[in-house]
Amino acid sequence: MNALLPVLILMTSFLPAIATFFLPQRAFASRNALNLGGAVLKLSLVAYMLWRVSEGDAFEARLSLAPGLYLLLRVDELALLFITLSAFLWLITTIYAIAYLADSPNQSRFFGFFSLCVSATTGVAMSGSLVTFFIFYELLTLSTWPLVIHKQNKDSIAAGVSYLRYALPGSAALLVAIVWLESATGPIQFTQHADLRLLDDTSLKIIFALFIGGLGVKAALIPLHGWLPGAMAAPAPVSSLLHAVAVVKAGAFGIVRVIYDVFGVDLVRELGVGLPLAVLASATILWGAIRALQQDEIKKRLAYSTVSQVSYIVLGAALAGPLAAIGALAHLVHQGLMKITLFFCAGIYAERAGIKRIDALNGIGPLMPWTSASFTLGAMGMIGLPPMAGFVSKMYLGRGALEMGQLWVLGVLAGSTLLNAAYFLPLIWRIWFAQAPAELTVIYQSRVANLALIGPAVIAASAALAAGLLAAAPFSPLDWATLIVTRNYTP
Amino acid sequence: MMGVQGPPLPLIALAWPLLLGLLALVPGVRGMALRLLVLAPLPALAYAATGVAGEATQVPWLLLGVTLAADRPAMLLLGLTAALWLAAAIYAQAYLAKSKNLPAFSAFWCLTLAGNIGVFLTADVASFYLAFAAVSLAPYFLVVHERTPKAMRAGQIYIMLAILGEASLLMGFLIGAGAADSLLIGDIRAALLTAPLGNLAIGLLVLGFGLKVGLMPLHVWLPLAHPAAPLPASAVLSGAIVKAGVIGLILFLPVGAVGWGQALIGAGLVGAYAGVALGLTQTNPKTILAYSTISQMGLIVAAVGASIIGSLGAEAVAFQAFHHGLAKGALFLSVGLLAACGRGHFWPVLVMTGLVAASIAGMPLNGGALAKAAVKPGFEGYALTALALSGFGSALLMARFLWVAARKGQTSRIAPPALMLLPWLALVAGALVGPWLLWSAWIGQDYGKLLVVDTLWQAAWPALAGIVVAIAAAVFRLRRPKIPEGDIVIWLEPLAARFASVVMQMRVPKMATVSRARVTRLQARLAAIETGLLRWQIAGLAALLLALLVAA
Repeated sequence: MNALLPVLILMTSFLPAIATFFLPQRAFASRNALNLGGAVLKLSLVAYMLWRVSEGDAFEARLSLAPGLYLLLRVDELALLFITLSAFLWLITTIYAIAYLADSPNQSRFFGFFSLCVSATTGVAMSGSLVTFFIFYELLTLSTWPLVIHKQNKDSIAAGVSYLRYALPGSAALLVAIVWLESATGPIQFTQHADLRLLDDTSLKIIFALFIGGLGVKAALIPLHGWLPGAMAAPAPVSSLLHAVAVVKAGAFGIVRVIYDVFGVDLVRELGVGLPLAVLASATILWGAIRALQQDEIKKRLAYSTVSQVSYIVLGAALAGPLAAIGALAHLVHQGLMKITLFFCAGIYAERAGIKRIDALNGIGPLMPWTSASFTLGAMGMIGLPPMAGFVSKMYLGRGALEMGQLWVLGVLAGSTLLNAAYFLPLIWRIWFAQAPAELTVIYQSRVANLALIGPAVIAASAALAAGLLAAAPFSPLDWATLIVTRNYTP
Repeated sequence: MMGVQGPPLPLIALAWPLLLGLLALVPGVRGMALRLLVLAPLPALAYAATGVAGEATQVPWLLLGVTLAADRPAMLLLGLTAALWLAAAIYAQAYLAKSKNLPAFSAFWCLTLAGNIGVFLTADVASFYLAFAAVSLAPYFLVVHERTPKAMRAGQIYIMLAILGEASLLMGFLIGAGAADSLLIGDIRAALLTAPLGNLAIGLLVLGFGLKVGLMPLHVWLPLAHPAAPLPASAVLSGAIVKAGVIGLILFLPVGAVGWGQALIGAGLVGAYAGVALGLTQTNPKTILAYSTISQMGLIVAAVGASIIGSLGAEAVAFQAFHHGLAKGALFLSVGLLAACGRGHFWPVLVMTGLVAASIAGMPLNGGALAKAAVKPGFEGYALTALALSGFGSALLMARFLWVAARKGQTSRIAPPALMLLPWLALVAGALVGPWLLWSAWIGQDYGKLLVVDTLWQAAWPALAGIVVAIAAAVFRLRRPKIPEGDIVIWLEPLAARFASVVMQMRVPKMATVSRARVTRLQARLAAIETGLLRWQIAGLAALLLALLVAA
């Protein structure tokens, strides 16, 4: 049973993905049933595993691919944090996507790759060894590409090209790092700390830099973030999932794994590579926020906001202290919930009222109260206002930085708070206070409210609220992050 | 795990206004949203009346683990806050009856109230921060309620400074929580005194709370925002909401940080006099009151400074703040009342307003004199003289207020609505008599000392001198210099705008992209090399064949 579950959970999204490819465009009912069924099944399995792992169990499966090459799937506390997030968001995004794409062409292709992308994310989360991680990481790159270019217009093709241009050298760097490391130490599993001391300091530093370079593309660290704003050309559900959980989080999650399970906190500290990474992450936080401030399109602003916010995770991981690690891991979930809310809402604004630019948001609040309320909650969370989840992340990151004696990080957090306020509050002001132009009301009234679009946004916003308001309750993201750190990373 | 430990009333007092605030937005209830405001502060008032200082309520699963507890100063200010919000809510029933956007106004009124109650009840830093954010940010919606350009500008300046204050507080709280390794405010205060970064943290906290109390030169938003809000909201802003900063200073600043105490005394007293000087130049009665708030809050901050040095108990500071809250609330409400009074009611209302104004100036025998007597023992030297003479400026400013407010009245013959008159009367009575009732319990002295002729004269002469100067100024028609509302804010606004435009136009450094031409050139070169290779292959193959042939 313990070996079966990880495979089963991978299959809950992989099998629907494969099956969906063979369905004709018109097979709405069976396609939706397959994907939703898979998502619900996955979520129940995850719930069961959450309970078991909290009791101290772990699940492991080893699938042999070729002699000497095997996939190691392992569900530990950290993996489960990421899987739970992706399973939950997959379910609500699927509901949203079904409604969003209602009459658009190529749906089987879309949902097939969509589910495949989720399987890859799950695989990344469950990877128990570096090689397994690399395989799923690449599968993720390949399965998201068709989603980015799904609309097949000029913008999305260009975005797709740019995505590959960034992703493939990243993969190459990652591969070099893995091969170099494993040629000295043998296969590396995350649970057994390999003796990296077989390599000299300089090599280890270069390998670390290669890891960060490879993973930093997906995590959108500057200057490797260029692909992300362009990838906005994808349909809203894709942007939502890419930004909240799949791609950027796979990068951030990989960095956490590399720091904590490949190198180990002690070695990172000895090599002195944590601080430069923390500085890079801080620069990304501030730079992303400044660039967000300069955008006029809602989705572009949100994209740069992602660049900024994901680096909170990297920053917390790089600080390599217990409280900062808790903050980083909690933010992995928090940022996902808040950002998916914002993207859902941006998609609804575009779909229902044709609003894509920030100055077109004027007065939409009273017309679309549920969407706008969700958007407001998400934005408040990004600023880090209590009781939203973002506040909890900031609290732990700040305390973690002080614990490690890095006072300057507080300045970064404060600067980011102010910049976040500067780029989100004007939107909220426009939504609720500005006078709506007359034609907006006309456009708005000509379309119907769609519960399947609004529902996921409201659910995600409520989850982001609950994650902060009930942070101290059992099974909250914060509680789980604390569990991870106390069980695995506290000496 | 999911329960509540300790008395539930503090939690109810916090949750109840939030619930009513949400209710105000429900479609069926929206029409009577304004009525809900009267109910909102009732549980808090009940707790202030019946609660035991120091008892704790714990909700371990909420936020980062919520602890609610109020010590004696907080309990007194909680009572003041609940009472003032109740009076303002009743007043609003008549005053705002015809206003627009009432559901939203009511919702944010309730949210602000919950935050205002929360700052007095919370004992852990996360929930304090939440409460403080609510009482700092939600009033934005009260300030801009009338949507006039003036209100919108006031709101914009208000929200920018409020966010700045929040960020500053968060950093201070983080350093404190790190130093104490605890989220309890009591632990943080204890740790700040000796922590290596303690002074930085205290500085950040003084900045954040100083913005809230309008400490010079962080006061610029106050003369814009307080008058822009509708009157009942101005009353709570100036009477109760600014006290959130006072309780913040009392709760977080450690007794024994002598340097900081002295700095607060100095800054507070400067603010007390500068507020008067700037207020005298104003023509809007509400703006004059806002400057009076800056001045009076300066005196209260000075008293906080004394309590940090250790020469004054926090109870005395709370006592002083208690009087100011009721008196300032009454004065704000009187502006609307005087405008609504016909001839029959005008003079009685004006006389009673004058009494409250005299109380602010610290004239003998009323509440204000007691408030001043309560904090006097904490001061010495120049500071004591400055405190004693502050009555002169206050009297001058109050005379100016009465003069301006009286000129605006007397337009109709109608009686003011009872819903405006009664809460106002209650506040007037509270400000004049309340301190008498609390004196012995709070200050621990008997009444005899207050009635000595010498003491009375010492309190009276600066204020009387102020009145004399005010009359002289009126007789000789002294011209006032023209200073805009918010004084130095007019220098800060262009600076802020300039900074914003610099950030917005920051250039993106060009990524080292490979130009198309270079790619083409590279491709051509690669192609040429490959062609060469091919030739070599051919050549190699030929050579091989040749070699084989030779070998054969």
